[in-house]
Amino acid sequence: MSLPLQPVQPERELRGKAHMLRSVTFARLSLYAFLAMVAGSWAYLFASGDSGLENLFERQTWSYAAGFLSQLMGLQVDGTPAFLQLSQWWETAKLAYRTLAMSVLAMGIAGVGAFLTFMLAARNVSNGDLGNAPSKVGTVFYHLFRGSYAVSRAIPELVWAMLIIFFLSPGILPGAIALGLHNLGIVGRLTAEVVENLDPAPARALRASGAGLFQILLYAVIPQALPHFIIYLLYRWEVVIRTTVVVGFVNAGGLGREFRLNLSYFHYDEVALIIMWYLALVIGVDLLSAWLRRLARFD
Amino acid sequence: MARNRISSFLESPRLLSLLLVGAVIWSLTSIDWSGPLFHTGGGDSALRFLLALFPPDLSPGFLGIVVAAVWQTLAFALAGMTVAVALGLPLGILASGAMASPESRLRRPTVVGVRFLLGAMRSIHELVWAVLFVAAVGLSPLAGILALGLPYAGILGRIYADFLVEAPEEPLLALRSSGASAWQLLIYGRLPMCLPDLVSYTFYRFECSVRSAAILSFVGIRGIGYEIQLSLGDLLFSQVWTLLLALLAIVALVDLWSGYVRRSLLTS
Repeated sequence: MSLPLQPVQPERELRGKAHMLRSVTFARLSLYAFLAMVAGSWAYLFASGDSGLENLFERQTWSYAAGFLSQLMGLQVDGTPAFLQLSQWWETAKLAYRTLAMSVLAMGIAGVGAFLTFMLAARNVSNGDLGNAPSKVGTVFYHLFRGSYAVSRAIPELVWAMLIIFFLSPGILPGAIALGLHNLGIVGRLTAEVVENLDPAPARALRASGAGLFQILLYAVIPQALPHFIIYLLYRWEVVIRTTVVVGFVNAGGLGREFRLNLSYFHYDEVALIIMWYLALVIGVDLLSAWLRRLARFD
Repeated sequence: MARNRISSFLESPRLLSLLLVGAVIWSLTSIDWSGPLFHTGGGDSALRFLLALFPPDLSPGFLGIVVAAVWQTLAFALAGMTVAVALGLPLGILASGAMASPESRLRRPTVVGVRFLLGAMRSIHELVWAVLFVAAVGLSPLAGILALGLPYAGILGRIYADFLVEAPEEPLLALRSSGASAWQLLIYGRLPMCLPDLVSYTFYRFECSVRSAAILSFVGIRGIGYEIQLSLGDLLFSQVWTLLLALLAIVALVDLWSGYVRRSLLTS
């Protein structure tokens, strides 16, 4: 029985080896190209003269840095530094609250957007691998959504915020939209890839017993993909809370705006207070997300 | 019985759904809906912005600026990654606890301490680092490079440590039983075994660092973000589109390249 297979075996093995060799060469060449680019970048950045590298060896730079640090620690402020006043903590708490709301809203936007599109952005749904009929419309949707995901995640949050703040009034909404759009692309793509790696058996079984596309998605795809989707959302939430400060720089509200303002007024003790709140938010969200992720692993 | 029901509710997906939906509703209520959502004329400028895509500004003079900005962004990303790897690899090795013998009393404090340090480095966003560095040492490429390098070192170090910890034990055991020191275990055992994973992850992060470098320009460091800001300020929307398309193009190219490298490393 196994006789006809035998001559094929060594050839396949050889081809496998050739393939391996080729990919090793590619990786090696890439590494060399990467190293060359790295060398070029350092040369470029430090050939221009005002690179700042020589400043490292000047006493003045270090005294500036030390002065900045001591101001950050509130050592050179008249009166009590901001982070030792309870009223200031309370004032900043309101901003932190709004920042947290902005991050949650951003995840809401990303979550709803990704949830509505991720199934149609999966190749196995569009090409009928799950047992539904393949259709031209499905292929169009697949390319459309995958393309939109790529665009929305290639544009950094801050650039989104810069564009959106141009049309919308300042506040947490433009910031949330900017963060939401960037993360929509990331979560959407990751979840679509989960769908592509799903076990097709349940969907095909449903199809065989007469289910339509909508029923297949509802009963075979969503239940399997949802936990992953929620876990990705929660992971991204941890990143988003770190980035809320950044979109605040362009007037999108919350802690970031205040950070930027205080820095330009040289109120370094208030900058320190904002950084403390920021770190508290980051740690808090990390813990909360870890707990929620444990809840999401329902199986 | 009731307690049972409560505890099963606390572990059920229903609680999670309730929490998630509730959180989003809460976030919606904290927006100030009373004021105007759009600027006066915001709708108009949105329309003009969209129409400016046809066509983007492709005049040779401006394209020269775009190419320079692309290169500056790439250069910062690459230089930042160098710092990130140079810092992240030794810290990652320390955080993996591979260099100390399991009995050593110093091992646990080192691992916990270095992991905490890595966590602190990456919990501050690169742009916040940039603002702080610029305030501390002035506006220079060095501030940008360090601002990218520190948080990325925090991320790389943590992931490197995880890879090194998960290296298969048997080859290491063989090395150890033939008398290899911790250094030799590292250089002949752990690092070569983890190399594909380490390189692959570093390439993935390189892709992210290009995006980060583009926004670093926000603190005054030159690059794509800087040019976008200038063009947006001058209301030259068709230039903004050119820059956005250039950003898309390099992110897509780096994405493709890093994808190929990762696949070729992980299949071989």
